[in-house]
Amino acid sequence: MKKKQNMKFNRWLLAGIAGVQVSLPIFAQDADTIEALKQQIQQLDQKVRVLERKRELDQETADAKAKDAPKVSLGQNGFAFTSADTNFAIKIKGVLQVDSRTFFSDNHASAGNDGFLLRRARPIIEGTVFRDFDFLFVPDFGGSGAPSIFDAYLNYRYRPELQFRIGKFKTPVGLEQLQADQNLPFNERSLVTDLVPNRDIGAQVWGDISGGVVSYALGVFNGVGDGRNTSNVDFDDDKDFAARVFFQPFKNSNKDALRGLGAGVAGSYGTVTANANGLSSGFLSDGQQQFFAYTNGVVADGKHWRLSPQAYYYFGQFGLLGEYAVSDQEVKRGAIKRTLQNTAWQVSGQWVLTGEDASFTGIVPKHPFDPRNGDWGALQLVARYAQLDVDDDTFPLFANPAASATGAKAWSVGLNWWLNKNVRLMTSFSHTDFEGGGTGATAPGTVTAQPENVFFTRVQLAF
Amino acid sequence: MKTKTLISSVAGVAVLVTAAVIALQPAQAKDIKLLNVSYDPTRELYTEYNTAFAKYWKEKTKDTVTIQQSHGGSGKQARSVIDGLPADVVTLALAYDIDVIADKARLIPADWQKKLSNNSSPYTSTIVFLVRKGNPKGIKDWDDLIKPGVSVVTPNPKTSGGARWNYLAAWAYALSKNNNDEAKAKDFVAKLIKNVPVWDSGARGATTTFVQREIGDVLLAWENEAYLAVKEFGKDKFEIVTPSLSILAEPPVAVVEKAAKKHGTEEVAKAYLEYLYSDEGQDIAGKNFYRPRAEKAAAKYASQFSPVKLITIDEVFGGWRKAQKTHFDDGGVFDQIFKP
Repeated sequence: MKKKQNMKFNRWLLAGIAGVQVSLPIFAQDADTIEALKQQIQQLDQKVRVLERKRELDQETADAKAKDAPKVSLGQNGFAFTSADTNFAIKIKGVLQVDSRTFFSDNHASAGNDGFLLRRARPIIEGTVFRDFDFLFVPDFGGSGAPSIFDAYLNYRYRPELQFRIGKFKTPVGLEQLQADQNLPFNERSLVTDLVPNRDIGAQVWGDISGGVVSYALGVFNGVGDGRNTSNVDFDDDKDFAARVFFQPFKNSNKDALRGLGAGVAGSYGTVTANANGLSSGFLSDGQQQFFAYTNGVVADGKHWRLSPQAYYYFGQFGLLGEYAVSDQEVKRGAIKRTLQNTAWQVSGQWVLTGEDASFTGIVPKHPFDPRNGDWGALQLVARYAQLDVDDDTFPLFANPAASATGAKAWSVGLNWWLNKNVRLMTSFSHTDFEGGGTGATAPGTVTAQPENVFFTRVQLAF
Repeated sequence: MKTKTLISSVAGVAVLVTAAVIALQPAQAKDIKLLNVSYDPTRELYTEYNTAFAKYWKEKTKDTVTIQQSHGGSGKQARSVIDGLPADVVTLALAYDIDVIADKARLIPADWQKKLSNNSSPYTSTIVFLVRKGNPKGIKDWDDLIKPGVSVVTPNPKTSGGARWNYLAAWAYALSKNNNDEAKAKDFVAKLIKNVPVWDSGARGATTTFVQREIGDVLLAWENEAYLAVKEFGKDKFEIVTPSLSILAEPPVAVVEKAAKKHGTEEVAKAYLEYLYSDEGQDIAGKNFYRPRAEKAAAKYASQFSPVKLITIDEVFGGWRKAQKTHFDDGGVFDQIFKP
């Protein structure tokens, strides 16, 4: 608009100069002068045009430079700084979970387990350098232990089908274990998680073939006991191998009812030489109470393999997830060696009452919470059944049957309120029956002395 | 026993699932996207050619190929590819710009010119003058461009491949007229540069400057660009002047092999460039005022071009690498004579 006005002004200016200057020679009847003035006008016209074009080109250059400038964005996926060519990026995200647990009719010896807790407080820094190298760094300041690093890895993307990751990250075995913490339907993962590895340090090759129709991962890790997180160093010289393949055959099809179907199998194999760190540090209930522990002096010694068939199905508001895990491990106490095989399985379902799509990666409310405009977010109803069976050969030599349970069966129901993609309020109730145990002044005896009934709440911020 | 049964069951399920996945993945026709990073005046050529190629490829393979085009000054486009523009093929104004991609980004093999016939140049062109109707300044040859008061429009050789051809054609003319005296050629081109009022970054921008912004007396233009301007804006507005001597421009093409491999488009990218040499590809080139290589198409379109003596970059300048280093690299002859 401004440019047009300037152009108009220039034209009027030229016309004015022409008018004044042309009028004089007319009176003088001087043809040469008229010709000279015409040329002068043409030259001035060209000069004006050149100036305008130069300004136009300068603007084009400025626009092109603006396109090359780094971009800063802030939204529901966190803060992001990205180079213009997107080859370099850094994103700052975070997860904060403030929980409460209330146990009903529990043993007074477990006093102190009711209360508020900072379950997770994790700043997340992720990014990309030189287009193909991704990194993730996640420390955790929540929980009962000292702050620690949960994820720290470098990933090279040769192509989506072929990627390499090295560092500390989740071992590719348990399906629910691989689900992001902020998307879990319950405050705590199921009993199956007691039998699969958590985070470990290692290297893996992985990828998504045909846009995720087939996903695979194959890695070598230091190896951790069931349900354990690794520290930042290895505890022995032996290594574990883990592999997972997961199929979503209809992921890219137009068959709506089947698009959310996925199934696969995962497993691990490794050895441990006489080391207690290779064992589970104790199986935990939904309320995160220890209901099983190996007797002091028991160590992992020999082969350890796990296998976990797993599947999920999401269609519209409905979601179903199930997995089975078997952990087969050679253990030793003194001179006695035995192979123990523990198993667990779970099925969890969900229904999004407000009509949004259920998914493995959380809910995106159609109408984020805004009461002034009558929008209330999304409500998600969830239910789960899980059970864990401890090998009978474990008792009495490797675990005390008077204190530790030989098995646990748990059911849970819950209601989650997704105010928006970033904020969620959660409530759930979980009931667990234990087989065996029940005596002793400390856990697991105090835990297994009665069924566990626990009411959870959570306020979650994730961005 | 329990374990063996479980393993057998799981293995069975895995085999069944794998078989189901394979069975349920019919050999579907693919949707393929291809990015052709080209220089400025090829928009019309490739718009027409892309439609023809997509049709040919669909008939041959059942796959749907969508070709996206990116245009700009040739040198600028080469830099964009080096900086990460995900081109599957490049169709640039001069070989040096593809050499740079091969040298600096290693996205293209060093022997790329041997991959297709005619040094990977499926069509040629040259440099002509576009003047206003009636040729008010009486421009007939290169000498007229250095006269005082003649305003010459040409893009910037630092960013435009066409501009480098313009510059070298003028230099070659001056050499030929002055017994290969380099100093006189330098002086000639310096005078010509003095007459340039605006420096566009690409050939299409220079055409806009001359045709639409009505700046200048003469546009140094690709032959195809000049004919296109006359066709589009009318013979009553512009005329083409063919100088006594010009340069044989051989715009080259190449598959950006590393990128194409990454995108899974190697086969179609190669076929896309090969099809430029087909009867249909050559005909489309001729229709868009490029000089076809194939005899049949060349004969068909010969009458639309005026005869001109053409020198080559190799015989006068010792090839593109040498010409680039001498004239256009930082501190080269162009920098010495260009005084903005």
